[in-house]
Amino acid sequence: MQTNAESSSKPTRLLGNSQALLASAKGNLELWANLLIIAWALGFMLWQGVGFAITVGTVFAIWAILSVSLNLVVGFTGLLSVGHVGFFGIGAYTVAILTSRAEYEQLRTEAIPTFGWPFFAALPVGVLLAGIIAIAVGVVFNRFRDDIYVLVSFGFAIISFNIFLNWRGLTRGAFGIHEIARPAVGGWALDDELGFLIFALAILAIVVLLSWLIVTSSFGRVLTAIREDEEAIAVFGFRTTHYKLAVWTISAMMAGLAGGLFASWTTFVDPNSFILLESMLLVAIVILGGLATIWGSLLGAMAFVLLEEGMRFLPFLPTIHVGQARLVVLGILLVLLMLFRPQGLVGRYKL
Amino acid sequence: MIAQRVSLNNLLAIVLTAAAAAYVGWKISQSPDQAVQFAFNGLSVGAVYAILAMGFTLVYSTVWFFDLYYGAAAALGAYGVFYLRSQETLGGLYAVNNVFVNVLFAAVTAGVVAWALYESLYPRFRARFSPIVLRAILGLVAAGAGVYTGYVLSFPKDLHLTLSPVIAIGVAVAFTWSLYQVLQGVCAGRVLLGLVSITGLVAAALGAYCGYLIATTPDSKLYLSWGLSCFLAGIVGLAFYRGLYVYMRERSRSPLIMLVASLGILLAITALTSIVFESTPRPLPEALGNDPLAIAGATIKGFNVFTVGVALVGFLFLQFLLKQTAFGKAVRAIGDDEEVSKVVGINTTTVIAVVFFIGAIYAAMAGLLSGHDTAIQPRMGLLLLLKGWIASVVGGIGNLQGAIVGGFVLGMIEQFGIWDLAGEWRDVISFLLLILFLSFWPTGLLPRK
Repeated sequence: MQTNAESSSKPTRLLGNSQALLASAKGNLELWANLLIIAWALGFMLWQGVGFAITVGTVFAIWAILSVSLNLVVGFTGLLSVGHVGFFGIGAYTVAILTSRAEYEQLRTEAIPTFGWPFFAALPVGVLLAGIIAIAVGVVFNRFRDDIYVLVSFGFAIISFNIFLNWRGLTRGAFGIHEIARPAVGGWALDDELGFLIFALAILAIVVLLSWLIVTSSFGRVLTAIREDEEAIAVFGFRTTHYKLAVWTISAMMAGLAGGLFASWTTFVDPNSFILLESMLLVAIVILGGLATIWGSLLGAMAFVLLEEGMRFLPFLPTIHVGQARLVVLGILLVLLMLFRPQGLVGRYKL
Repeated sequence: MIAQRVSLNNLLAIVLTAAAAAYVGWKISQSPDQAVQFAFNGLSVGAVYAILAMGFTLVYSTVWFFDLYYGAAAALGAYGVFYLRSQETLGGLYAVNNVFVNVLFAAVTAGVVAWALYESLYPRFRARFSPIVLRAILGLVAAGAGVYTGYVLSFPKDLHLTLSPVIAIGVAVAFTWSLYQVLQGVCAGRVLLGLVSITGLVAAALGAYCGYLIATTPDSKLYLSWGLSCFLAGIVGLAFYRGLYVYMRERSRSPLIMLVASLGILLAITALTSIVFESTPRPLPEALGNDPLAIAGATIKGFNVFTVGVALVGFLFLQFLLKQTAFGKAVRAIGDDEEVSKVVGINTTTVIAVVFFIGAIYAAMAGLLSGHDTAIQPRMGLLLLLKGWIASVVGGIGNLQGAIVGGFVLGMIEQFGIWDLAGEWRDVISFLLLILFLSFWPTGLLPRK
């Protein structure tokens, strides 16, 4: 990881510092990117109608939580983790198993025990479980660097996917888990889509606030220093591995939160939502938005979701190929970014 | 403190190894027949991993960054064979022949051939011809090569007919060149010229005969399509290096930047493969040796024996290339220090481009061999890449002997590991093995000197 030559005395730039945006010529590109993507989002919502926009908004909220959380790891410790989808899956499956009310015996497929907990009881369990597993994994992974770290994080994603797929007594394997509970308190349940969108955005706001607090605290400053020069800060007596482990765990818990939200929103999970590809997309989003900037991660997630939905309306593209065509565009974008703008759209740190 | 930690690590490693060995030994004593069967399976899986690991090591130990295109090359190799032979698989149910694909590969081939001709021939003939004429001639030759590639891809049914002239010319040139090398040491001047012209006549006859043989045996189509798809995957790998990575490495020396960029390439190519071929698994046509051979109470397919043979031949070829030739010396020099190699006068860009070409050919070979053994799907590339990567880490990163050993070791451990589990836990076993190795034995079995 190296900084840009013109990185100023301020360690991080966060939510829309307009003066800095307008300051430099480079800032102009950032400004245009911001304006373009937000205008595109608004125009899209007006054009497509409210119902569709609500769905897109919920998808955006989940991706945004994931990308903000991954950016804490990638942007602030310099470890390129491609295994984040594992924690997403752990959160989703915990909520799914604990809240599912389906009677599988009648369906004559593999049965798993039903707990039937309410959503708000299961969600903290999922988050905690993701955190506990993250500590165990982080202790092992902390000793690795650069490309070897990428390889082992690939490994974590593959191992977790295989557990979701093959531990049938727990996850029903490829059948998936149905009838996952929506958030409910007492007699009031969030069954309508708009309510769920507001709920998801509220959770996103909490995650963003938490990340912002982490980044601007002294803890965040130590993390930035670790990214810049780990040996130097270790000489000053900071236990860098502990810092890295802490931010890794917090990030994994956020991903678990996103997973719980996702499971409750779709009310059905199966292993195909947690393949390695999703992880690579997530890394792409974080890099697209820019490292070590919360605003950039939100922007990247927004751009990604709009790309997916926007490509549905290209006249020359058959509908079945939209998902794949989006990947082609994303891949080419990654290559172009690495060529011309390694710090991402609004980031200021290069890989 | 550190010494304590090292000894503790060693102790843990020894205990784990002993436990694993005891477990496997106990299983073998329980049912020796089954053990032989697992060993055969491990060999056939390990051969594919070994081929992958060798190509991967070759590229990685030269440029020291991870090129994820390598995984896409494995998928391209398998899908190239499917593309060329899809009209024979399942009665042509999924036959694919896409104009865009043909044009794309034609263009890429033309570009790479143009670059190769310009690099090799332009400096030599610059004194004799005017540069414009020379460039026009080279451009025309390259365009011809591109058009020819497009033509071959458009009519895969007549592969043996369309490829026979190329094979004839290739055999003739190779024969003449190798004899010329031998004769140079023996004689000189007019005698040499005379002998070489006689050789050329013989070689032309030989080449013509080979071409005729290929053209009259339609059964050779499958093996021709193997060669063609490996070649095309190599060309694409070379094109990515020359057209993209060179500029990136000029701008930044960070290996992560290269990794993310090649991740983008892998994503894009995988998605394109899914668009052209659909993402459901597909079979490759029947290859040689599909009947199981019974040896020592267990069975192994003849094709798997062939795969092991390919791995060994590939290893010997790379050993020869790296240890015996000037090119190999240049490759090792670049791996040790690229800047100094440049100063000494090695054309690093060309050498690395050839390395990428060879590496991608190895990946494609592994991809199509594993594709004949099991089904193919667009996502196979990434998993094969990771397996090759793991095998090279286990064997000792950046070491060729380590790569082949690591490949076979990984295959064996995977197969013996699923003895008591279901087969679907294979990937988990190999990654656990990787993490254990990295924790206790980060240099691998045979560390690079």
